[in-house]
Order: sequence, then C-alpha cells, then structure tokens
Amino acid sequence: MISIGIDAGAATTKAVVLHENEIAGYAIIPTGFDFRKAGEAAYREVLSKSGMDETKVGKILATGYGRSIIGFADKTISEITAHARGVGYLIPAAHTIIDIGGQDSKVIITENGKVVDFLMNDRCAAGTGKFLEYTAKALEISLDELGMLAQVSKNPAKISSMCTVFAESEVISLRAQKTKKEDIAAGLIESIILRTTAMVKKLRIKPEVAFVGGVAKNPGVVKAFEKALDTEMQLPEEPQITGALGAALLI
Amino acid sequence: MENDIFLRSLDLFKEAFPGRINQILKSKEEGKKIIGTLCLYVPDEIIYASGADRVILCGGKSAPIPAAEEYLPRNICPLIKSSFGSVIDQKCSKTKSCPHFGLVDLIIAEATCDGKKKMYELLNQYIPTHVMDLPQKPENQNALEYYIKELESLNDVLEKLTGNKITDVKLRNEIKSANETRKLLRALYELRKRDSPPIRGTEMLKVLQQMHFLSPDKFRKNLVLLLDELKVKKRENSGPRIMISGCPMASGNTKVPEIIENQGGLIVVEESCTGTRAFWDLVDENKEPMRAIAERYLKIPCACMYPNDRRIDQIIELARDFNVDGVVYYTLQFCHGYNVEKYRVAEALKKSGIPLLSIETDYSGADNEQIKTRVDAFLEMLE
Ligand code: SF4
Ligand code: SF4
Repeated sequence: MISIGIDAGAATTKAVVLHENEIAGYAIIPTGFDFRKAGEAAYREVLSKSGMDETKVGKILATGYGRSIIGFADKTISEITAHARGVGYLIPAAHTIIDIGGQDSKVIITENGKVVDFLMNDRCAAGTGKFLEYTAKALEISLDELGMLAQVSKNPAKISSMCTVFAESEVISLRAQKTKKEDIAAGLIESIILRTTAMVKKLRIKPEVAFVGGVAKNPGVVKAFEKALDTEMQLPEEPQITGALGAALLI
Repeated sequence: MENDIFLRSLDLFKEAFPGRINQILKSKEEGKKIIGTLCLYVPDEIIYASGADRVILCGGKSAPIPAAEEYLPRNICPLIKSSFGSVIDQKCSKTKSCPHFGLVDLIIAEATCDGKKKMYELLNQYIPTHVMDLPQKPENQNALEYYIKELESLNDVLEKLTGNKITDVKLRNEIKSANETRKLLRALYELRKRDSPPIRGTEMLKVLQQMHFLSPDKFRKNLVLLLDELKVKKRENSGPRIMISGCPMASGNTKVPEIIENQGGLIVVEESCTGTRAFWDLVDENKEPMRAIAERYLKIPCACMYPNDRRIDQIIELARDFNVDGVVYYTLQFCHGYNVEKYRVAEALKKSGIPLLSIETDYSGADNEQIKTRVDAFLEMLE
C-alpha cells in the first residue's frame, strides 16, 4: 500500500507518494484556476513518476489552501500541521520552520514534530513569493535573476513600501532615479526579509531553523535571511514538497 | 461534535424580533421616546427609569459600510462604519433589519475610542446625539465622582426629553430587573463550564445579540425558558474548548465563531461586550442607586481604558474557570485599543501556558478561507 499527500497551494499543487515510509516520488505543477483539476493532475503525475500502480493507493490526504476542494481525498489537514510533520521527517533537528509560499508566509514553532505555536501572514502579498514575482517584473528580470543580482549589490536600495502595489511603483521611481538594478533587487529581498523576521522574532527562534516553500529555492533570499537572523538555515533538497510529504505521513 | 437536539427557546429570541419592532412603533405613537446607544458604559437602568425605551445601534453587517465610507475614512473599524452607515443610508435605515428602524429620538453616546467619538459629531447631524464623557483612568481617585456627575447630566437630559421624573424608586426597580437578567446569564454561563456544555458559542452569541434589541422583560422571559429547556434536554457538545476574547460582535457578525465551531472547536466563554462584559458584575442593590450604578459600570474592562490590567486578570481567570484549551483573540481591523492590548494579553497567556490564536478581521468574507486554515491549524495543535 502507498499513501499520497496532496498540497493544493494557491500557486502550485504538490503531490508526494509514500511507500514504506520512504518518498517514492513527487510532482509539482502550477495550480491554475481549478484546484480540483490541478489536484487530479498532480495525483496522476506523481503515480506515473514513481512508477506506482493506482490499485496500490491506500489513503489520500489533502492539505493547502484548496484542500477542501480535493474531493477524492480521504481527509484534510491544515498546511501548518502538514509542514511541521514533513519538515520533522526530513530535518528532525529543526524546531523553527519558515515557509514562504506564493500567497502567504508562515512561521511555525515545533516540539517533537508537533506544532506549539505559529504565525501567518495571509491577508496580503507583502512578504510572500508574489511580492518578489511582481516586483521582479517591474525590474524586467526573472525571479532567479533577481536573487543572483541581489548578491552582487553593495548598497541595497531602501524599499519602504510593504504593499506590493506600492513597491512596484517605488521600483519604477528608483529606476527613474538611475538606481542600480542590483541595488533595487537587494532592496526588494531585504524588504520581504524584514517582514518575515518580524514574525520570527515575535515567536522567538528555536534552533534549528528550516526554510521551506517556493521562495527557499532562491539563493539570494536564503543568504539574506541567514544574515538577518544570524543563523544558518536548513534547506530540504526539495523545499516545495514538505506540506504534501507531511500530509502523506499524517495518514 | 455537535448535538442535534432542538432547542425551541433559541428560536423564541429570533421570533420575538418582529414583534419588538411593532411594539416600539406602537409605543412611539403613544409618545414613548426611543433611545439609541452604542456602548455598554451607558447604563440601561437610567434610560428605562426615565420611561424611554432603548435599542443598541452597533452595526455588525457589511451592507451599510459603502454608504458610510462616503463620509468616514476607510481605515477605521467596521463596527463604526456599519453603525454610522445604517443611520445615514436611507435604503437601510428604513428597513426592519436595521437596528435603527428609523425610529430613534436621541442617541446616548459615550467618549470611548477616538473613531467613535469623532463619528458621533457627524451622527449628530442626523439624529440628536448626547455624548457622555468617561473617566479614561477609571482607577483614579476622583474617577467615580466624575462618572457620577456625567450620569447625573444624563439623568437631566432624559428627564427633559421624556418629561418624566427619574425617581430613586424607579431606578431601584430597574436595577433589580437588570440584575435578574445578569444572574440568569451567569447561570447560563455556569452550564458552559461543564465537561460537555449544553449550549454552543454560536448559539449563545445569537442570544446575546438579541439583548441589543428585545425589551428587557421579553429577553429575561426567554432566558428563563432557555434555562428550563437546557435543564430537561440532554444536550452534549465536545471539541477543543475555546475562549473568545476581544472586540464586540454586533448583530449580523457571527463570522469567526461560526468558522471556529464549523471546524470542530467549541466556544465555552466570550470575554467580549457580546459576552461576559455585558453582564458579569451586578449593581449593588443596597447602595444609593446612582452611585451603585456608577460603581458597576466603571468596572467594565474595556480596552479604551488605562490601565486595564483588570481585563488581563479576568481573561486568565475565565480561562481557568471555564477550563479552556485555547484563546482566540478577536479584533476588528483598525481597533487600536484591542489590537494594542493584544500584546499584553498574549504575554499573560503565555505565562499561564494557554495557547493563543489571534485573528484581526472585518465584516467581509474575503479572508474566510485564510481564517479557516489558521483555525484548523490551531485546533489541530490543541488536540
Ligand atoms: S468595546 Fe468598549 S467601547 Fe465598545 S461597546 Fe464595549 S465597552 Fe463600549
Ligand atoms: S471595536 Fe474598537 S475601534 Fe471599533 S468601536 Fe469598539 S473600541 Fe472603537
């Protein structure tokens, strides 16, 4: 028997197949408009990627923003509990989890793999992947380029707007003032870090700190984070699947 | 777990509402004055002793907000916007679903938070509004005397409006019946301390919201029926025991409690103006009535007051007495008093080892899904 965890996120849908308590395969696909369709597609993809037969599927557990729409799941669980479990499996020493996804960011404190406290920013795009995505667009570069450029900056620009929409216009006015591209890029990353470290500090760090979610794939952000928190970050090999993995483990 | 044993008396509260409007219409025709209030610091006893009737105008619906935003800044608390909107919006204020019903003769307002205070200046252009001052440091030596003076002016305003004399006898009668209601509500809350409370938070909230509209007599009668029914019916509820603490939930606003209980939590107590703050302390029936009223009302632990340690102490006490598993700190967006006080409440809860989830929101449904995720995670954490 295998179990499957599906993380129906706002930007991407992730699925993990668990076979005898080991990851047998995973899939990450863009969610698009329809959570349900994305969930089904991720399910099929993860089965074929892991070479598993559908008849072997035991239980399916859904998590993430669209979890209640994944009708074929046996159960749902919040992504906070799921991430805590997934990270606990991959990085047992981690007790603070920072997750920056496409639509929200959260900080979770755990003890023995269980959540003891959490904070979430979910009312606006500030401090989330969306913030970087939009503002990178205003710089006319890709997200990866943004992270790379930021690392060469010597004099990060000050971005004072937390709001994505205002930050976008701030970027445009910085460009008009001929501020260097790398300095703007570094400024943008600093701004999202400022927002998240405020959350982390509210809860107080318990080492080790794990960093997961799509934004953790950006080395520029990881470096800047480590500097701001003055601590090394633990990154799973694939930072985007800890929610789906946790769901599969929680069955 | 939800039980499905039907409570007839819960419906009585709702059913009494249309009758109440007709009753007000009729008594108004007979010359009775109708008072509107927006805060618990305005003592009902004095209003009723003057022979006037009263309705609470606090708005909990989002429909009147766009009308209010033509006058008020968008970034003030939705309760203020909704209340103001329901008075000025013609479409709304004449409908029977509005707390105002278009019938209020005088608003007795109060100097609590800044947003409300300044809103009252505008409100006065539509309905005559008398603003009572409040001592902002209720523990000060002369605070009580000052508040009594304000109550005496309120006395004069009401006597002038109604043409009736507010006698000590009348005041004592009103105190007695208001205390009766308070005792009944305390008895109801006492039942919620049980391992398996017979009434859920969403049910209780709707009862307390009707306190804003129904006549005190009708409300009290229905409470007695409810208590009787709860005695004979074996109703049981379970789930992580939650206390709600924070801003009032005016009629029409049931958003967060509904999410909490739909997701499997069980609300056992509310530290709120639609909760304990509305009825916790009694007025001393043996003292001179005006002074006794003043003493009781000044004890209300509102976040507009300074210092407000008494509120923090009470939260911890309630959490213990009701054996809560976790506290949901509920605030309305832009309510600075309760939002700032959150920090100290959080510290005190942490010290006592009681988990906390804080939710700041408005009357729209825009963040329902996000709130659900947090509530789910919180309940999963408590299990
Ligand atoms: S929260 Fe404060 S200002 Fe609002 S009704 Fe209660 S006592 Fe009055
Ligand atoms: S909820 Fe807060 S901001 Fe709104 S009226 Fe009450 S005290 Fe004022």
